Amino acid sequence: MSHAALLLAYLPFLEPLPGVQRWWMLLLLPLAFGISVVYKAIRMPSLDAFWRSVGTMTVQIVLGMAGLAIGFLVLVQVVVPLLPAE
Amino acid sequence: MSPTADAATRTTLNLRAAILGWILPGLGHAAIGERRRGRLVGGGVLGLFLGGILVGGVDCVDRREDHLWFIAQAGAGPVAWIADLANESLVKSGRVGELIDAPSGDPFLGGTVKVSTLKGLGHPNEFGTLFCAMAGLMNVVAVLDVLGRRPKGSA
Repeated sequence: MSHAALLLAYLPFLEPLPGVQRWWMLLLLPLAFGISVVYKAIRMPSLDAFWRSVGTMTVQIVLGMAGLAIGFLVLVQVVVPLLPAE
Repeated sequence: MSPTADAATRTTLNLRAAILGWILPGLGHAAIGERRRGRLVGGGVLGLFLGGILVGGVDCVDRREDHLWFIAQAGAGPVAWIADLANESLVKSGRVGELIDAPSGDPFLGGTVKVSTLKGLGHPNEFGTLFCAMAGLMNVVAVLDVLGRRPKGSA
C-alpha cells in the first residue's frame, strides 16, 4: 500500500501513527520536551525564564541519551569484542 | 516558639488540591492560586498522554494486558481509565478495525486468540506506552508537589 493510501486509511488516536517505525528515535525530542515542561513548571520558584529553562533541559536530556547511546555502542562494538572468548 | 510562629512553620497538606490535581492534571496548582503553573503542568501531562495515544494508538493503554504500565499511566488520572475503556470498547471488541486469529503465545495450550488489526506493535507501541507512562509519573510528581506547596498569598 502506498504512503498516501496509508495516510488516507489512518484513524488518528485509534491506530499507531504511520511511518513511526522508521524515525522512532526522533520521538525522544517530544518526550524530553514534555518531561521538561512538567518538571520545570513544578521546580522553578519563578516562571519568568520558563521556556528557556525548558529548552535547556530538553537539550540536556537529548545529549545525555545520545551520550549513553554512543557509550553503549563503543562498549558493544569495540570493548566486548576485545575480551577473551573464554 | 509562639503559637503564631508554630502555625506558620507547620506543614499543611493540601489534600483537596492534590485530589483535584489527580482528577485533572494542573487543576491542583490552579486551586491554590498558581494558575500559570497549573496550566503548564496540565498542558505538559495531557500533551504527553495524548501524544502517546497519537503515536501508538489507544491500544497503548491496556489495564489487562499491560498491567504494570497501566499503574504508571493511571497517575495521569481518569483520562487513563477513559483511554482503557476506549481501547476495550472500540479496538479490542472489534467495533473499529477487524478481529483476526493470532497465535496465543502459550507454549503449553497453543491455539489462537482474536486480535484487533489496530493493535499496536513495535516502536510506535513502545513509545506510545512510554509517553503515557511518563505522563502518569510526572503527574504523580505534580500531585506530590501541590500536596506540600503553600497556597499563593498565604503567609
